[in-house]
Amino acid sequence: MSLCQNRLQEERKQWRRDHPFGFVAKPTRTAQGGLDLKTWECAIPGKTGTLWEGGLFKMKVVFPDEYPTKPPKCKFDPALFHPNVYPSGTVCLSILNEEEDWRPAITIKQILLGIQDLLDDPNPESPAQADAYNLFKKDRPAYERKVRQVVRENQPN
Amino acid sequence: MGDAQVIHANATSKYSVLKRFPRICLHIDSFDFYLHVGRRFKSDTKPKNKVDFRRASEEPPGRLHLPFPTPPPTIRAQVLSSDVWRRNRTSTPGKFATSFTTPPTTRKRTAAEAAIDNEPLPAAQGHRTATSHRSRKTDSAPTATSDTTERPGSASSVSRKKGFLGTPASTTASMDSDDDFMSDVSSDGFLGTQGSDNESLGEDFGDLDTGFSDDKDLIRDKRKPYEVEFKVLDPPDIDQEQNTQVDEVCAVLGLPPESAAILLRFGRWNKEKLIESYMDHPEETLEDAGLGTDFEGYAKTEVVPGFMCDICCEEGDDLETYAMRCGHRFCVDCYRHYLGQKIKEEGEAARIQCPGNGCTRIVDSKSMDLLVTKDLNERYCELLTRTYVDDKENLKWCPAPNCKYAIDCGVRTRDLRRVVPTVRCFCKHEFCFGCTLADHQPTPCTLVKMWLQKCEDDSETANWISANTKECPRCNSTIEKNGGCNHMTCRKCKHEFCWMCMGLWSEHGTSWYNCNRYEEKSGSDARSAQAKSRSFLERYLHYYNRYANHEQSAKLDKDLYLKTEKKMTSLQSQSGLSWIEVQFLDTASQALQQCRQTLKWTYAFAFYLARNNLTEIFEDNQKDLEMAVESLSEMFEKPVSELAGLKVDILDKTAYCNKRRVILLSDTAENLKNGKISPVV
Repeated sequence: MSLCQNRLQEERKQWRRDHPFGFVAKPTRTAQGGLDLKTWECAIPGKTGTLWEGGLFKMKVVFPDEYPTKPPKCKFDPALFHPNVYPSGTVCLSILNEEEDWRPAITIKQILLGIQDLLDDPNPESPAQADAYNLFKKDRPAYERKVRQVVRENQPN
Repeated sequence: MGDAQVIHANATSKYSVLKRFPRICLHIDSFDFYLHVGRRFKSDTKPKNKVDFRRASEEPPGRLHLPFPTPPPTIRAQVLSSDVWRRNRTSTPGKFATSFTTPPTTRKRTAAEAAIDNEPLPAAQGHRTATSHRSRKTDSAPTATSDTTERPGSASSVSRKKGFLGTPASTTASMDSDDDFMSDVSSDGFLGTQGSDNESLGEDFGDLDTGFSDDKDLIRDKRKPYEVEFKVLDPPDIDQEQNTQVDEVCAVLGLPPESAAILLRFGRWNKEKLIESYMDHPEETLEDAGLGTDFEGYAKTEVVPGFMCDICCEEGDDLETYAMRCGHRFCVDCYRHYLGQKIKEEGEAARIQCPGNGCTRIVDSKSMDLLVTKDLNERYCELLTRTYVDDKENLKWCPAPNCKYAIDCGVRTRDLRRVVPTVRCFCKHEFCFGCTLADHQPTPCTLVKMWLQKCEDDSETANWISANTKECPRCNSTIEKNGGCNHMTCRKCKHEFCWMCMGLWSEHGTSWYNCNRYEEKSGSDARSAQAKSRSFLERYLHYYNRYANHEQSAKLDKDLYLKTEKKMTSLQSQSGLSWIEVQFLDTASQALQQCRQTLKWTYAFAFYLARNNLTEIFEDNQKDLEMAVESLSEMFEKPVSELAGLKVDILDKTAYCNKRRVILLSDTAENLKNGKISPVV
């Protein structure tokens, strides 16, 4: 089995054995009903004690053939109002960039926890969307109002 | 024996002459150059003695105590010639014994000299040789005398010079002795930053001086004012240099070489600063550099029972694993894969970090040796060398395609306003060390950048604007008339004017739509304002067109040469010249390319120059070079059948062009260096 498949298999095993509370991560099903290990459906809960508490944000994680040499692509679906999320929903985070801090040893758990941290701790140095970034920089109360609204819209069922 | 002493006496007297009249005495033979001399006087602010002190002090002490003022003219005459002999060691004295008196038509002379320049002077060419090396022994006497006696000032020397033209013998003689002067001056004066005038004049003379191959070599050996010191480095040289520095740091800090190398790369090879920072805070420095503080243990792979690799999730008791001193252990396959990805795909070398999450430890060369294949390791070393050159301010890669050499040049970025560091790689590519663009002498990098930018934005647009538009007399908006009558209303400022006379429309009275009123004041005022604003544009276009023309002509010349080269074989059979003898076309073509390149940039340079005397000198030099280049280019275009007959002329012109180029560049470089020319930006 290829390195990629092998590793994803193992990631899935590890996740089922133990994963942080409130998180979701599972491979999708193919049209034929088999498992598609390269595309995962995940969900990240807002951290307790932060603006984002109570929300559950759905995300698609796509693993390239070169995984784990190259990082997976993480995309909020639907796109999320956040300074470091592109209008397409793709997350901009240093550990997800192979030229920056991506390492082959980073696990799915670490990625998802990293993105959860990013929610309440945006990095204004690398903005990815104008709306959230401008509000975050110029009008913090309006930004916070908008985040609360986003959280209301993304309740766990 | 007596001879040698006399030479010294002469040397001193020459310098004494120089001391009082550094310029005049050097410029007796060519009226053309004389014009420059006059201008230099105007713009010259430097105290003249300064040069001369230097000159005097450069003389060996033995010469300094010699009698002053000059010894009797007769002795000097002999001296001059023996001095010449001394430097022209090549030929036998008998050859020059006959005296020829040739009028000072310098062009002819250069021709002959250029032709014989590199030839061993066989007997058959005796006549030509003698012509060029005219009568030294017999004729230098009168000159020497006049040199010393006639020093009242520039004005009288003008008249004297003209007078001399009437007496060929003495003129010739004076020329020769001056030539000797100049070769002395120019050969020992180039490195100085003072006395620019003398040196560039030296160059002036150099061009009349081609007869003496030795003198020419003397000039060549020294750096010209527009040249910079540089060294071409082979990749092994670069490695050597790196290793030397690594060894030094190893010795000082007591670190293993691979760690010292990482530390040096982290500190961008600034040894002093690095050692200082290490001495102050050793732990922090090591941590920042991606090195741990412990240097124990060897790099080796291990089998660890019960290990599971975090990357591939393989486990097995026979799994080879590796960890650096940070302890992040992975299986060797994953490690290799990771390193291969970094080196091959990302071209990374100096900053490959441990594959462990969040670990900043840098993978060192020892681990690399252990883990990766030979070709990957070679690539790794190559990339390291690359970052070394990129990190060092005094090193740059040659930008030519597939060139493997690097250039070491001490010119700093802050100096680039005043020097143009052209370097020449072993691959023959000439480029500017400052900006790595192709050679752009004499224009400084900042101007080149501005000029290229301007040309990119402006040239075509400006041409079109100039041809098709006028400006609103009130707000200067550029207006294109695309139809309709002459009654214009500016969209921007609502100004109403007549397109024909540019005057106020309201003054047109009842003769609407038919402008015959040229003399009205408002119209002529508007026109003159318009002319003024257009003149800036015109000025730019003037320089741009010439710049572009030389660029284009250089291309055409090159094409022509390539065609000619093919015909050279036919020339060989037609004219009976051997292959080596038709190489003059190659030389001429190269000179054309180079001179056009220079001319091209002189126009960009001139665009940014303020009008003053120095600019005029610059433009005169530019004109001289341009005329020479154009006439060489014309000869070059002649049909192949005529080329053989033009050989001497072409050689002559080639030599002349090259000399003029050197003069132009030297003069400009000196003025730039001394801050006398400062471009208006």
